[in-house]
Amino acid sequence: MAETAATDALSHGVDSRRGFLTILTGAASAVAAGSIVWPLINALNPDARSEASTRMIVDVADIAENTAKTVQWAGLPIYIRKLTAKQIADAQAVMTSTLPDPAEFTARVPAGYQNYVVVVGLNTGTPCALEGNAPADPRGDYDGWLCPCDGSQYDPLGRVRSGPAKKNLAIPRFKFINAAQIQFG
Amino acid sequence: MRRFFAPLLAMGLATAGAAQAEDTLSPLHFQSQGVFGSIDKAAAQRGLLVYQTVCASCHSANALHYRDLEALGLTPDQAASIAQGVKLADGSTATLDSPFKDPAMPASAFGGALPPDLSSIVAQRKHGTRYVYELLTGYTTAPDGVTMLPGHFYNAAFPGGQIAMPPPLRDNAVTYADGTAASANQEAADVAEFLTWAADPNLSTRHQIGLRAVIFFVFLSIVAIASKRKIWRESRE
Amino acid sequence: MTTELKHSWAGERMPGLGCLCACLFAPVYKPGSKYLDTVPALIAIMLAFLTLSGLVLAVYYDPWHAFASVQFIGRDVHNGWLVHAYHATGTTALFGLVYLYLFRAMLTRGYRAPGELAWGLGVKLLAVLLLVGWLGFVLTGGAAAYWSLFKASNGALALSGAPGAIGNWFFGGAAGGNTLARLEVFHAVLALGALVVMWLLFSARGAVAPKAEPGKGVAFFPYYLSQYLVALAVFALIFSVLAFFAPHFGQPRVNALPGDPLTVPVAVALPWYLLPLVGVAGALPGIWGGILGVVGALAVLAALPWLDRSGRGGAKGGLYCCLTWVLALDVVGLGVSCSPLLTALFTLWYFFHFLVLTPVVTAMEAK
Repeated sequence: MAETAATDALSHGVDSRRGFLTILTGAASAVAAGSIVWPLINALNPDARSEASTRMIVDVADIAENTAKTVQWAGLPIYIRKLTAKQIADAQAVMTSTLPDPAEFTARVPAGYQNYVVVVGLNTGTPCALEGNAPADPRGDYDGWLCPCDGSQYDPLGRVRSGPAKKNLAIPRFKFINAAQIQFG
Repeated sequence: MRRFFAPLLAMGLATAGAAQAEDTLSPLHFQSQGVFGSIDKAAAQRGLLVYQTVCASCHSANALHYRDLEALGLTPDQAASIAQGVKLADGSTATLDSPFKDPAMPASAFGGALPPDLSSIVAQRKHGTRYVYELLTGYTTAPDGVTMLPGHFYNAAFPGGQIAMPPPLRDNAVTYADGTAASANQEAADVAEFLTWAADPNLSTRHQIGLRAVIFFVFLSIVAIASKRKIWRESRE
Repeated sequence: MTTELKHSWAGERMPGLGCLCACLFAPVYKPGSKYLDTVPALIAIMLAFLTLSGLVLAVYYDPWHAFASVQFIGRDVHNGWLVHAYHATGTTALFGLVYLYLFRAMLTRGYRAPGELAWGLGVKLLAVLLLVGWLGFVLTGGAAAYWSLFKASNGALALSGAPGAIGNWFFGGAAGGNTLARLEVFHAVLALGALVVMWLLFSARGAVAPKAEPGKGVAFFPYYLSQYLVALAVFALIFSVLAFFAPHFGQPRVNALPGDPLTVPVAVALPWYLLPLVGVAGALPGIWGGILGVVGALAVLAALPWLDRSGRGGAKGGLYCCLTWVLALDVVGLGVSCSPLLTALFTLWYFFHFLVLTPVVTAMEAK
């Protein structure tokens, strides 16, 4: 407003006689205007409640082996599964070149917590929720997940093994903040 | 249930712990009062312990989230573990809700006296911080000639003198991690500081920025006046 | 560089822009203007500032959970407490400036011809801003706000016929979320209306501003710009003290409690700038008494140019000047008085001042 008009006008050919004092006044006014307006702009950044849901923390210690927990994050269903030792060994033994969408074991599980798999629970073929979280659910031939809509099958690491889907299940951004909790975002 | 994690919190405070608290009781003064006041975080942490151990069994603080407690110097882990201790599914994002699942219950159980929500109680009462302290330490025997209502207690600070809340604090109701003696008065002062923070979490920042803004605008006014005089003087030449 | 700009590139393509350049750079202003003449510009800047902070608040405000959303803004939104303080202190500052502007115009008798329209627009600005301020106060959802809205909306419901229909239309029924939702929109629209009134006021003031003698005038830039900057800096200093050290200045403490249909506050509590008008409204009984009081107080203020019988350019009498100061004390008294008797007396003096004293004293002193 008044101060920004001052700084604009002053920068367009100020008489050099005016000198230091006017430039100082203009600069100080610009600083004042900026620091008054900045909080208004910053207030429109995501508020603490949105940030908390974006950086959601989930407990994973209570997940039983061979079971998956479902949580909602960023509008997506997320499956967090704890693998059995046999599933880990089998997954590591698979030749990745035979997979429809090759991915190494280490690329699918978090470092240091390799018995956990965190994937977005949506089929990458026809968009559809997946079955296979509970041990009793139909899981297809690979003991992972099965899509009831188009029959795509995934292994316990969420890699696609057969069916119309061509890509592995997506992995959301997350990290383990301690042995019992993961944080998204 | 809430007493379960009070030792947990005490352990957490031990890692964040500082030296013994300074004596704020004689004379009574609060760091948060006054034009340049700021929240005494150590006192507020101790007050949080008292709040969770004693007050939270009846009162709610709905506007506070567990994640907000990080502003007192707790790590996100510690805040999350406090929330976990109360067994809330939402974790740190949950609010400090009433312990009563049925909203009508506390009023019916306490004869119509609903324990008020404490999120902004310090803002809602005149001289709120001092009022909370004086209320918590103001329980005395009723003077002659005063007939107490059934289920009420005499409190010198409460308007009307008769309060339905029983005296909540006693010596050593909690054990402070930083070694401060937990007399009833100390607990009252700490909980008053905690509730001052709860009502106005930005108090310290506000005063800090305010001081800088005032100094800056004094400087700007002086410079602007000098500049204006110079311009007008030159126009007369 | 100055008046030639009018015919320059911009002026050729957009005549309004040419006029703006002429306003800024042509040496047409009389030197020696007082600092108090910068007040209308400060009012305009405050209105713009309130609009900006109001927009940010509106992003997060929820009329169906008013009190909770205000708490949310103060606690969870980044710098939300500061935006809220901007808006609340901005309101106090704005009304302080408007009252100062009107009082100074009364003291200097600036409402006399050709300033009647400027004066009328000033009073209209006050009226619109009082309504906008009341609506904004009601939106906070506190105990005092809820009960003030309750009184107004249920009072409107109780009226019959056309006034009742208008009242119903305005409030949308009894006090509640539906009411607050529409009052939020009215608050914003009327605030923009105040900006329009402000613009008209500036145009009308052009008629009252002292004209410079040819050759002796100064341009706005940089002479008056430097003076406005000083006024703005000092104003910002006062604003900072209020916003950071007394963010609840002039607000009733009971408004920190949430609005609750089952808990009635002991006394009517409103922000300071509404208190004098509420005093006048309370002097006459009933709803119609209140409406009559408010309308009458503002109408009598607007009619001042015609009640003043001293004629254009007449002498400024000392007695009337003293009486204007007495009126100021009377208005303050209307705001703070707790006793109904005192309020009635102050209201009586207010109308007596305008309807009786003004014509008589000014006519007397004009001779």
